[in-house]
Amino acid sequence: MAQELPNKSVIYERQLDVNFADLMQSMPGGENLRRCIQCGTCSATCPFSHVMDYTPRKIIYLIREGFKEEVMSSFTPWLCASCFSCRVRCPKEIKITDLMYLIKREAIKNNHYPPKTPIVSLTKESVKMIHKNGRISEGYLMGIVLLKVSFLKLLRMSGLGLKMLLTGRFPLIPEKIKRHGELKKILAFSNKK
Amino acid sequence: MSTNNKEIRIGFYICHCGTNIAGVVDVDKIREFIAKKDNVVVSRNYKYMCSDPGQELIQKDIQEHRLNRIVVASCSPLLHEKTFRNTLEKAGLNPFYLQMVNVREHVAWVHSDNEKATEKAKALCNAAINRVRYNKPLEKKRVPFHQDVLIIGGGIAGIHSALILASAGKKVYLVEKKPTIGGHMAMFDKTFPTLDCAACILTPKMSAIKENKNVVLWTNSEVIKVEGYVGNFKVTIKRNPRYVREDLCIGCGQCIESCSYKEAKYPDEFNLGLSKRKPIYIPFPQAIPNSAIIDDKTCIHFKMGKCKQMCLSACERNAIDFNQKEELREIQVGAIIVATGFKIYDPQKEPEYGYGVYPNVYTSLEVERLINASGPTAGEVILRDGTKPKSIGIIHCIGSRSEKANKWCSRVCCMYSLKLAYLLKKHTHAEIYNFYIDMRTPGKMYEEFYDRLLMERVHFIRGKVAEVTDISLVKEEEGKLILRVEDTLASVIRRIPVDMVVLSVGLEPSEDTQKLAHILNIGLSAEGFFQERHPKLAPVSTFSEGIFIAGCCQGPKDIPDTVAQAGASAAEAMAMIDAGYFEIEPITAHVLDEFCSGCKSCINICPYSAISYDESKKKVFVNETLCKGCGTCSATCPSGVMKQNLFEDDQILNEIEGLLVYE
Repeated sequence: MAQELPNKSVIYERQLDVNFADLMQSMPGGENLRRCIQCGTCSATCPFSHVMDYTPRKIIYLIREGFKEEVMSSFTPWLCASCFSCRVRCPKEIKITDLMYLIKREAIKNNHYPPKTPIVSLTKESVKMIHKNGRISEGYLMGIVLLKVSFLKLLRMSGLGLKMLLTGRFPLIPEKIKRHGELKKILAFSNKK
Repeated sequence: MSTNNKEIRIGFYICHCGTNIAGVVDVDKIREFIAKKDNVVVSRNYKYMCSDPGQELIQKDIQEHRLNRIVVASCSPLLHEKTFRNTLEKAGLNPFYLQMVNVREHVAWVHSDNEKATEKAKALCNAAINRVRYNKPLEKKRVPFHQDVLIIGGGIAGIHSALILASAGKKVYLVEKKPTIGGHMAMFDKTFPTLDCAACILTPKMSAIKENKNVVLWTNSEVIKVEGYVGNFKVTIKRNPRYVREDLCIGCGQCIESCSYKEAKYPDEFNLGLSKRKPIYIPFPQAIPNSAIIDDKTCIHFKMGKCKQMCLSACERNAIDFNQKEELREIQVGAIIVATGFKIYDPQKEPEYGYGVYPNVYTSLEVERLINASGPTAGEVILRDGTKPKSIGIIHCIGSRSEKANKWCSRVCCMYSLKLAYLLKKHTHAEIYNFYIDMRTPGKMYEEFYDRLLMERVHFIRGKVAEVTDISLVKEEEGKLILRVEDTLASVIRRIPVDMVVLSVGLEPSEDTQKLAHILNIGLSAEGFFQERHPKLAPVSTFSEGIFIAGCCQGPKDIPDTVAQAGASAAEAMAMIDAGYFEIEPITAHVLDEFCSGCKSCINICPYSAISYDESKKKVFVNETLCKGCGTCSATCPSGVMKQNLFEDDQILNEIEGLLVYE
């Protein structure tokens, strides 16, 4: 920034992106975000909101007021378990879960997300794997993700992995779905859009 | 105690009120206890005395046992005294031979020790038996009702009431202090939530006032004296000179054109000083009466006495009359409707908002004029410094919800702020910020309007701006007004630079409310608005019979509620007028003429101005129609000759005796 801000804890309007809300509103999931009346039902119903840095209610407010940096570097969307409770209970029919996916898509597209988040790698690798094989093979996926995020963690979890491997719940070789070509066509079509 | 009077035959009834009373008070014991008292002929208990069979029981006993005094021990007389008085009347007994004992609210509901409660009930019932012996028959009085109505205030409330009464054929005097009717509503641009234009819906009603033969419209006038009482008010109205004859002027504006002042120089009241007017002017194009007025404080003729009086010669209809004088008119009316509206809070009381310091800080009412097509800028939002705003901050709750200013929520500010946000957005395409504490949208289609605004890309920031300043800290803030606010939903402090600030000012009692309350002898609530008789069940009545209140003079409210109250006031006034008479309770004071010394102690102490002094007799007399029976005069009279019906000394003293010695 050109000029040093006199007080870092005060938010100046130039730190905000006035077009952020419009951008988010224009994409699937963000349609109703301006209708939010900040009741907090989403945050109270969310099983994970207590560990989130911003509650879902606050995420919506921050989007609306242009706090792009705060939203994009928040863990909240990455912690979303897609249980859809917020979506079901929202009085203003805001597709909050979809909105979380929207933030995640934007984050991956622009390489703008909280650093060292295993969930980002997990998401990326899952999508990659679905494109490649048409399904996820948990053992293989976990191996790759943990390798990328933390080798120590991989070692720590290897005991559990080994057990699951022995009971046949954790195939090491990635599996493929039948008629994978058809799925590829669908994915290609949706990506074109 | 005079118990030798064999004529007195008392009937005593104690009500169970289901288990309300009987669950605590031993009603059988009370019945037996009272039955033994002198003069008591009948003593009964019954499940619900107020029910039809309960009342029939009393009526039958009165006839069969020739009872001439009745004591009912039940609930508060506020609830059923009327019921039982009617019962006595139906049985041919004077209703004031009834005495009620409140053994529910005063005994059963407030005590848990059944035995002690029963003892208390015994004492209270005995006191009533003792007292009822001395009750005297009283007659209700009927006062004839004058058919005309006075309405004070020509805003939407007064206009609506006047039109309803006039359509029912009643003669209405509509008195307005300003030179035109229309009130605040005439100043508004659009109305929430439907956004229909205020003038479009108001001016037809204003014209209807002018056209209606049953309405006498006196603008530029004030009520200065009200005498008399319900059905027979004598009102004195001061008509201030307009210097233009309303009956001749057609509002052509020739006089204004020809005024010696070539340029308009004086702040235009209707546009809140945002534009200028000449000493002779018409407040606004649709003003009613559509007649010019000369402001004698600024007109050269009145100021210096030397003017060519061009207006006089310009007027083809010879409507201008510099010799008009203030006039006093006296009228007789039966009922009065007060609809004097409100005034807006003066934001200069809170200097942190910079009103009057920074030219681009406006009150919401000023913005109404600014966006109005017939306003000072013909509807273009141009600031005082000549620029067009690119960003606008609307600060809610200015002067409301504050111990420092007004404690109340002004009820309309959230909605009009939403409306202004919408209109300003349409007019300027500026970035609009709303700063609110709570968003209050209670009303039909109001929350829906808020939802609509949310979708209009308007910012809603929860937090009250703490200060408006022009001291910039970063480059982008230079030349702007900076609003410092806690964004309580994002939990951060923000500085938001804007070009224009709108202060959503609250509503408070209009200037002359206190004066008028004194003239009309009606009460004010703690906030200074007129006090309604009951907040829920008598919202347009006052404690003075025949005087009603409507609209914002009773408390802040929006146009739909104001119109509803105006209709209610008209209907309540009409009910009284059409009855043709008014019945007054005989519980009033009277003087024993021969003993009054004429000391006048009672005159000033009477809260209802019901006592006057008769110069010829050198004695006071009570106007029974005005008297509310509060008893203050009886207690004050040094000679003890001011008597209060139903509360005479022997009645009260015997009641006390009965209370103290009851076994």
